[in-house]
Amino acid sequence: MQMMGMLKIDRVSVTHNKRIAIKEATLNVNEGEIIGFIGADGAGKSSLIHAIAGVIRFEGQITFQNSVYHSPSEAEKLKSQIGLMPQGIGLVLYDLLTVGEHLRFFANIRNITQDDRFNEYKSRLLRMAGLDKFVDRRAGNLSGGMMQKLSLICTLLHRPKLLILDEPTTGVDPLSRIELWKILDQIRRDEGTIVLVSTAYMQEAAQMDRVLLFDSGEIIAQGSAKELIESVREMTYVLTPSANLHSMSTLDTTYSLEPLEAEHISPTLEALFFVNALQKNRLLPPVEITPRDGDSSFASVVMEAIGLTKVFGDFIANEHVDIRLNRGEILGLLGANGAGKTTFIKMLLGLLSIDGGELSLLGKRIETAKDRQALKSSIGYVSQHFALYNDMTVRENLLYFALMHQIPMDTAIKRIARYAAELGFEEYMDAIPTELPLGINQRFSLAAALLHEPVILFLDEPTSGVDAIARAQFWQLLVALKEKWKIAILITTHYMSEAEFCDRIVLMREGQKVADDTIANLYTAHPNAQTFEEIFLEYYR
Amino acid sequence: MRIGILKAYILKEMNELVRSRLIIMVYLLPTMLLLLFGYGIRMEVTHARIAIIDNDQSHLSNLLTSKFEHSKYFDATTTFMDEGEALRKIKQAQSDAIIIIPAAFEKRLLKGQTTQIGIYVDAAFPSRGSTMESYVQGVILNAASGLIPNATNGSIVINQRTLFNQAMRDEDAIVPGLIGLVLLVAPAIIAALLIVKEKERGTIFNFYASPLTKAEFIAAKLIPVFLLHSLNIFILLLWALYLFEVPFRGSFWLYWVASEFYILVSISIGILISVITKTQIVAVVLTVMVTIIPGFMYSGIIMPISSMVGMSRYEAHVFPVMYYNHILYDVFLVGEGLASEKTQLYLVILALYGVILLGLGALWLRKEIK
Amino acid sequence: MIRIFWSIVGKELIGFIRSWQLVLVVLYMFSVEVYIAGSGIEINPRNVAVGYVDGTAGGLSQKILTHLHGPEFLAPRRFNSQSELSRAIFDKEIIVGIVFDEDFEKKWRQNKRAQLDILMDATAASQAYTTLNYLQHIILDISKINIPVDIVTHKLFNQNADNHTFMALTELLSIITMLSIILTAVVFVREKEQGTWDLMLLMPVNPKVIILAKSFSQIIVVMTGIVISLGFVVLGIFNVPVNGSLSAFLLLSFFFVFAGSGIGLFIAAIARDVMQVAQLSIVIMMPLIFLSGAWTPIYAMHPVLQYVSFISPLRYYIEGSESIFYRGTEWIDLWPYFLGVIAVGGVMYWIGFRKIGRLF
Repeated sequence: MQMMGMLKIDRVSVTHNKRIAIKEATLNVNEGEIIGFIGADGAGKSSLIHAIAGVIRFEGQITFQNSVYHSPSEAEKLKSQIGLMPQGIGLVLYDLLTVGEHLRFFANIRNITQDDRFNEYKSRLLRMAGLDKFVDRRAGNLSGGMMQKLSLICTLLHRPKLLILDEPTTGVDPLSRIELWKILDQIRRDEGTIVLVSTAYMQEAAQMDRVLLFDSGEIIAQGSAKELIESVREMTYVLTPSANLHSMSTLDTTYSLEPLEAEHISPTLEALFFVNALQKNRLLPPVEITPRDGDSSFASVVMEAIGLTKVFGDFIANEHVDIRLNRGEILGLLGANGAGKTTFIKMLLGLLSIDGGELSLLGKRIETAKDRQALKSSIGYVSQHFALYNDMTVRENLLYFALMHQIPMDTAIKRIARYAAELGFEEYMDAIPTELPLGINQRFSLAAALLHEPVILFLDEPTSGVDAIARAQFWQLLVALKEKWKIAILITTHYMSEAEFCDRIVLMREGQKVADDTIANLYTAHPNAQTFEEIFLEYYR
Repeated sequence: MRIGILKAYILKEMNELVRSRLIIMVYLLPTMLLLLFGYGIRMEVTHARIAIIDNDQSHLSNLLTSKFEHSKYFDATTTFMDEGEALRKIKQAQSDAIIIIPAAFEKRLLKGQTTQIGIYVDAAFPSRGSTMESYVQGVILNAASGLIPNATNGSIVINQRTLFNQAMRDEDAIVPGLIGLVLLVAPAIIAALLIVKEKERGTIFNFYASPLTKAEFIAAKLIPVFLLHSLNIFILLLWALYLFEVPFRGSFWLYWVASEFYILVSISIGILISVITKTQIVAVVLTVMVTIIPGFMYSGIIMPISSMVGMSRYEAHVFPVMYYNHILYDVFLVGEGLASEKTQLYLVILALYGVILLGLGALWLRKEIK
Repeated sequence: MIRIFWSIVGKELIGFIRSWQLVLVVLYMFSVEVYIAGSGIEINPRNVAVGYVDGTAGGLSQKILTHLHGPEFLAPRRFNSQSELSRAIFDKEIIVGIVFDEDFEKKWRQNKRAQLDILMDATAASQAYTTLNYLQHIILDISKINIPVDIVTHKLFNQNADNHTFMALTELLSIITMLSIILTAVVFVREKEQGTWDLMLLMPVNPKVIILAKSFSQIIVVMTGIVISLGFVVLGIFNVPVNGSLSAFLLLSFFFVFAGSGIGLFIAAIARDVMQVAQLSIVIMMPLIFLSGAWTPIYAMHPVLQYVSFISPLRYYIEGSESIFYRGTEWIDLWPYFLGVIAVGGVMYWIGFRKIGRLF
């Protein structure tokens, strides 16, 4: 006799565009349990989530609340019990409706009686999400973090017994993430809801009752975070450069299947990805950056912004921001969603007009667009969504950008070949960007931004949605670039662990700069903080 | 169908239509189309620019010239340029026709000799050229027969009775047909966008993942557009009656009911397109292709259905515009109303169209990711 | 700069060819659409449905009826009574009804006034009018009246008043308008949506060059379509006469497509996404096409519309093209059309450059 609220997934397979997305997944979940799905892009997490939510055709059988379904139409009777939040920031929200209207709409289409009890529940959710002050704001004007919180409480309105969340926290700042999890935890305890969550943040996964590791359409490991971490402890060492051929290194850790003459350190769930890659023999080329063709002597202060201000209507996106970027420095620009990071970068680039303050690039005051013309060949930029042409192959994309930069053809071909080897996307040269995993796109976007050997690099959230291995690799690259080329890098990210690799951190909050210091100094100033995330959060309290 | 759910969904759709300013399209597009075509399309030729070269300068030639000058069809000017110059005027598209009255026009006529009048017509626009030609000939023959005594002996007199449009006004002939075109195109475009927009944006998941039924979803998409466009039925009627001064001889109720059915058909076409397409741009292009061109061809504006032969006759019967336009012309110009069995039949056919198209839409709508 | 210009053009052309669906649509428009319009749409009255009631023995009446033949008329249908005939007219099955009275022929033979009753459905005004004209001519013929005026008509430029060639040409011009606007607008708005436009602005190349190159690539696509359509359909199948200079037409087309892509650029500059491009295109293109003079001469339109049509490049293009193909107008007399088209295009590009062609 199984329990009433139990979820049973029996050999579920999903075929998407003739490709097997997930193969014979089997899983049993008890009432009130919270399960984390982790794995690289395209590993099959979303497909399984869609199958369970009854929005895609599948083979196999799913049982929930003693009701069996084999197809979306059979799942129909259970949909009042299920809540699905699909992947993508604000995906299920209507830009033009206000927060309050969303809640009313979602309650209405689920036919909820809106009595006192419901209203009380609704205001509790609003308070928990911190949205109670924004009931009349349109969803399109919310920050990414707020959108995700709104999506979550909209999904919770009908008190689902089964809550399925597909990467609810990707691209969301740490503060909003913590709030999201608080809501989830509370509801789960109050309502005994089963929660299935996929996530790219391993710290989050570590908090769950059980974690499932997905790889190429299969669940390859499952267990509590502790168990999983134990299973890879043996293979995790402190950074040991060029240990052996069967090892992989990040900036501070080395993973190896063969025993090393080095000390073990405590692994995180991320280690699972590396060890799995090693076991499947998917090795990455070691990061090597050859010195640049041009010379490396240029101004020591590459960018100086004094009192930069940007106003949209009556909303001040940036208010008197002073930031200086030095040669050979990685500067991390951190802040919650909507704190004004992207606006700031766009002002630096000239994509947005500057409403106040002064800006100098490479020692030159920027007054008009003409001043920028000469500087364009010194600046590289990777935007939030890796803007690339989707009708051309990787090679053609790169050649096109080289042409636009007026790099002689033979030099361009040589450089492209070199980057392809060094950044490890040689085998994808003739593929179309949309067919490639995000991590590969990210690397060749970087290559496109480096083709003309710039001395300043602006990177806007280059690691969002990219899997752990690709991110580690990416940071090794950045550090190598900085050391070899003395290039200056300004980068924004929502992974607080990545802040540790920056030389200096600027923290922004509501359009203003609230901190600007080295990591070490920040740790000194906040002695109670164990991780950088905690420091970050202190600025938002 | 749960009324509460429907109401919520409709409210949301209305909100979005208003805030996305799509509502402007709802009311701008039909009126714009009606005004553009109504004022911009003329089947008859008026104000054709005619240059008369009068080489006679006699009483009779003046008489003839004045006939042209007083016709509403022509803007006639008498000039003295030579033929070559006049032809160049036509080449420069500054003149549409030239009439050349020969030197001895009056003399010959009075002597009972045959005289020749030369006409040059710009036929670059063929139908306009032909029409101009017959108008000019008509005026000349008319004038000439007035000059000849006893012409009526043993003749046949045509006693013409123009039905429905006695004044032969272009507006009367075109505007009702335009309403049929406009009410086909405009609701279909808006409806086509509604579902596909949710697909493109991702909000379609709210439908996939909720207990909302397909019927409720379609009803929620259909009703707002239906209500908004119902107002257009009256707006267009007002334009037709007061701006274009088209008579209204039939039953208002028949006009109303038939129009509501027709809007339903048009929206169903849009919803069907919305169901089968993936992107908004494709949906718009497809809608334009299946509504504007057939809507125009089979509206009866260019060519009456009775004149169609072969394939186009069958095609005309496949597109709903023919049935509605029949009723439209009836209520505006004929006024037979439901007394005619054909009108009754066509009304039923329109309703059937709505039901069948909606049924297909519901059948093809998937509540799952493709 | 020249090299960059051509590489951008090349890149856009490759992108166009790779999106085979788009290629098919464009080819379809330039060939099948033009063909359908040329062979299918008929503005001249044709196949007018005639019905009659004949109370006479049928000598003169049949003589008159035999004159009503194709392609203008369907074979006249006989009705037994006038009420039957009216019924058919009310049901729109018959457009023109002719009633021959019992004493119609008798009176005529007796040299008295014979009266012919004609009922016309004037909702089909042009059909009714033409029929009336026809009947008048027929009767004039039969009546043996001698009017001493000989009318000699010369139909210039299109002697047979062949509607097919004209419709094919008109449709081609409309398609050129639509495609030059939409293709260009989509090229730019797609870049804006995907964010590649930001990258282009950051390239060490004058953004004006990029804009011109990108629109030039679409101009090439449309011009290729024009040549194909001209060669295979307009001149090949329909034999549209070329009384003027074909190179003048191609040059005028080039400048018109330039103006059209300028409008596309303008739409892309003010639109946020493809959706808005679709809406704006409809709102801008409809008046453009229907106020061009292709359907109704400009001078016959409402005065307000006549003024509005001055800013429509299509107005100049259509008038210019008609002049070249049919009227055989000389180069020197074509300058107003060139000027009009280039002016509109120039203004559109100027706005486009200001809106999306620069950094701050």
